[in-house]
Amino acid sequence: MSEYAENLRSAFAQRRYERIASIVDSTVIKGRGEIFTLTDMLDQVFLNKHLGIPIFLTVLWTMFQFAFAVSEPFVVIIEKIFEMLGAWSGQAISDPHLASFVSLGIFGGLGSVLVFIPPIFGLFLALSVLEDSGYMARAAFVMDRFMYRLGLHGRSFIPLMIGFGCNVPAIMATRSMDSEKDRMITMLINPLISCSARLPVYVLIAGALFGAAYAGTAIFAVYALGIVLAVATALIFRRTLFRGEPSPFVLELPPYAVPDASSSILHMWSRGRMFLKKAGTIIFGMTIIVWFLSTHPWEETSGGQVIAESYIAWIGHAIEPVFQPFGWDWMAAVALLFGLVAKEVVVGTYGVLLGAEEAGLGEALVSQELFTPLTGFAFMAFVLIYVPCVATIGAIAKETNSWRWPAFALVYQTALAFIVSGVIIAAGRLVGLS
Amino acid sequence: MNSSGSVSGGCLPLAFLPEGTEGIVLEVQGGQGVTRHLEDMGFSSHARVKVLKSCPPGAMLVMVKDSRIALGRGMAMKILVKNIEE
Repeated sequence: MSEYAENLRSAFAQRRYERIASIVDSTVIKGRGEIFTLTDMLDQVFLNKHLGIPIFLTVLWTMFQFAFAVSEPFVVIIEKIFEMLGAWSGQAISDPHLASFVSLGIFGGLGSVLVFIPPIFGLFLALSVLEDSGYMARAAFVMDRFMYRLGLHGRSFIPLMIGFGCNVPAIMATRSMDSEKDRMITMLINPLISCSARLPVYVLIAGALFGAAYAGTAIFAVYALGIVLAVATALIFRRTLFRGEPSPFVLELPPYAVPDASSSILHMWSRGRMFLKKAGTIIFGMTIIVWFLSTHPWEETSGGQVIAESYIAWIGHAIEPVFQPFGWDWMAAVALLFGLVAKEVVVGTYGVLLGAEEAGLGEALVSQELFTPLTGFAFMAFVLIYVPCVATIGAIAKETNSWRWPAFALVYQTALAFIVSGVIIAAGRLVGLS
Repeated sequence: MNSSGSVSGGCLPLAFLPEGTEGIVLEVQGGQGVTRHLEDMGFSSHARVKVLKSCPPGAMLVMVKDSRIALGRGMAMKILVKNIEE
């Protein structure tokens, strides 16, 4: 027993397992020989060398389908309710200033934020079901080989998946990683995973410019671009800022289980709550600021009617030159500026600027010829990459306990956005697109 | 293989055990943190392990103390086992 004296802990672990074994031996009746459980059978398929990754991709696709298809009716209901509330309050309040504030600022703003709740909760529900069923750990196992090449490992994979829903809970999910370097890389590349808040921007631009036939492809291309960039930045960070091997990967794969409804919903809620908090505070506050800037000075804009005379137009024209090389006008400049706060605000800002409801927004974009397909795609890429939203910056600051890393994320992503969009525009013009 | 000299014959890193075979853990190498973590997950000495899946260069799936543990290659190299035939 002297070998244990060196390491008391190891002796304890040993003893613990011996005790467990003796209890199990005296209480559990076990058939001798090979037992091929359901978990073994499922693992044979899900962890198969050739089938593992195709199955995983199918699951991923199904998850998105579920999240967006199931949430569609709820989105329509929320849109209609807020349209009605906006129209009603616009008429019922006699003071035009207050009416504009309530109908456009409050209900318009709230409505544009709340429509994201169904798809985000749908996505989180799907993720919870995958986690509780035991599949998520298998996905991490299957992807480990791929992740290792990126200088990460299977554990980084789950936070990246959650990033498709919202980067804030995704960054918090990196807490489960034990190596500081792995965790930093996972956090810093996470904003490149296109969260569901960016989707409405793609839907708007792609829907308007590429037509129903190609819109899906354009949106998929932006998602893919995000993943490719995340991979590339992970490789670069591993070689420069966070040198070293990825920490060893150990993960217990729980037996498969039928997910329990209440625990899956609880899981969904605990993640979705973070988005609700962000929506209720930062985004809502920001839409009110957008309302103020776009309807004031009250006299010059004749009561918020003429946007060209508003503060927002002044700001837009002031920063327009920065984006001119990309072929974007002052409205795009304003939309991007407000999108710093939360990217879904880009759509809302266009709504205010073009004075159109969400449904008619695409037509307004086309009729005013604000984008060509090329500049529109570059715009989508820019929205994907440039600065993570305020809530994500806050989450990185909180998790790293410093302002250095969020500042770094802000700078590197903005630089990357200018580079990538510039390359898209340059390449497009080279092959003769306008 | 550059394992330490103290190791006797007949033992090899868990990473080299072929799929479907079983082994007995002899020693867990590496820092205290790693050793402790692995021991807590069941890789204590004399524990019986079975390789359920091994697809180099990816992770491997090992059954130990009735639980399934996914191990990265690097980790599996730190666990020395003795191959046992059924």
